Amino acid sequence: MHRRRFVWMIAPAIGFVAVMVGFPFAYTLWLSGFAFHFGAAPHPVGLGNYRALLGDGKFWNGLWITLYLYVLALAAQLVLGLYLALLLNRVKRFRRVVRSVLISPFVLPPVVVGLMWLVVLDPSIGAANYLLGLLGLPPSLWLASPGFVIPTVALIDTWQWTPFIALILLAGLQALPGDVFEAAAIDGAHGFALLRRVTLPLLAPSIVTAATLRSVDLLRFFDVIYVTTQGGPGEASETLNIYGFRQGFVFLDIGYACALMVALTVLVLGAVGLLARMRRVVAW
Amino acid sequence: MVKSPFRARLLSALDGAQLAIACVVLLAPILWMVAAGFKSSAAVTAYPPRLLFHPTTANYAALFARMPFLDYAWNSLVIAGGASVIGLALGVPAAFAVSWNRMAWPAVAMLAARMAPGALFLLPWFVMFSAIHAVGSFWVLILTHAVITLPLALWIMLPFFDALPRSVIEAALIDGCSDAGVLTRVALPLVAPGLAVAAILCFVFAWNYFLFALVLSGFSTTPLVVAAFNFVGEGVTDWGALMAAATLIGLPPVLLAFFVQRRLVGGLAAGAVKE
Repeated sequence: MHRRRFVWMIAPAIGFVAVMVGFPFAYTLWLSGFAFHFGAAPHPVGLGNYRALLGDGKFWNGLWITLYLYVLALAAQLVLGLYLALLLNRVKRFRRVVRSVLISPFVLPPVVVGLMWLVVLDPSIGAANYLLGLLGLPPSLWLASPGFVIPTVALIDTWQWTPFIALILLAGLQALPGDVFEAAAIDGAHGFALLRRVTLPLLAPSIVTAATLRSVDLLRFFDVIYVTTQGGPGEASETLNIYGFRQGFVFLDIGYACALMVALTVLVLGAVGLLARMRRVVAW
Repeated sequence: MVKSPFRARLLSALDGAQLAIACVVLLAPILWMVAAGFKSSAAVTAYPPRLLFHPTTANYAALFARMPFLDYAWNSLVIAGGASVIGLALGVPAAFAVSWNRMAWPAVAMLAARMAPGALFLLPWFVMFSAIHAVGSFWVLILTHAVITLPLALWIMLPFFDALPRSVIEAALIDGCSDAGVLTRVALPLVAPGLAVAAILCFVFAWNYFLFALVLSGFSTTPLVVAAFNFVGEGVTDWGALMAAATLIGLPPVLLAFFVQRRLVGGLAAGAVKE
């Protein structure tokens, strides 16, 4: 028996989203067609803001930094997350304690994570440079180095989110049919061959799921950078989201900032769409 | 290939050692932050960094004496609590109806709202709420943070409602129960564990969320995360006090997450796991 019922219960939620998200989104699209400095009268420029975008070096810089951080952090997190998940799947002891340790980094507020790493990575008093010294390596400027700031942010994000990926992949591993592994073992597959030919293909849907979740957060990366460098030094860590935010709320160039945000949203939704397609390809 | 017991034991010891190292790496920065909060200002800036030091509570005393830390905490509580209540009040009935009618589009719409960059909404909100002089008010902060909690509540509750046997709901309907009665008296008690996860994750997300309050909070409504951020910019940073503040701000989400740790990842990944 399938009767439509309770449909009215959706209305308040949909109404709320329409007012708080749908209308503002339309308003953003509308504003992106205006030259509009907050406080002054807007005047229409059509697609002018988007044309300006294509000729704006800071936009391309932001796009490059966004993608650089995305690829670096996602690759590191997927590899380390897989390693950690396989390890967790083998070690059966202290599960509760280990899980408590694993969830702590990613439930901390990003602001706290940023402040914490500011102290650890401080070039003059930080523990990170001290550890480098113990290993006989030269000190680094970390977040203060134009060339190394993005790898450093990727390092912080990897520290925070690798355990999350590991726990998703662990759940995927534990849901795999055990008889496949028994059959593979009988056929003589083990070690790296087993991982490459059996485990990875079976785990692929979970991996794509984890990658999707991280893609959304990484492509719109904001909090940790804003707390630690605010896009600096110079523009070395100015992701698209940071650039758009500063354009809007520091320089109050609302119209152009709206166009930047629309571009960023297209990027995020495009990546999610691609990954959703990939999810269907690797399904089994 | 049959492994010898010795070889198996060696391998398992190696696994344990690797996991121990991973845990140390994950915990070290957090413990460093907590320790720095108990260091004197001389010890916190000492180089080489000190592992052993005389712990002091001076930083915590300074936090409460020199800044209105409790006011900020109250603001965080009001915003996160209010946003959680609204998110659950709207999201839970919606999830029930979406699950019963197997509708896709409302859930997908919520997911899109969750994936868009926050500034996409923040720009028009800023213009709109400035126009009615509402920037800095609690109700604006609560409503905007409910945009974070509502999709979360809906997506976390969906699998719990999906797992309810339809016959239970149908029986209640045949007994003449009203729609609202079916939800509150029959369905909700059966999904209580899901409600707990949803409530806790909504609160944690709103507590942690930085961007909206960064722009929309005012002098008397600043939540902890924004206050801590502002603290950095004030010239010479008092690292010890800042780490004490960071420790206190991070404590509630970590403690709350421990309560639901077994369901936590499923809750956070809700929406991505289900196709």
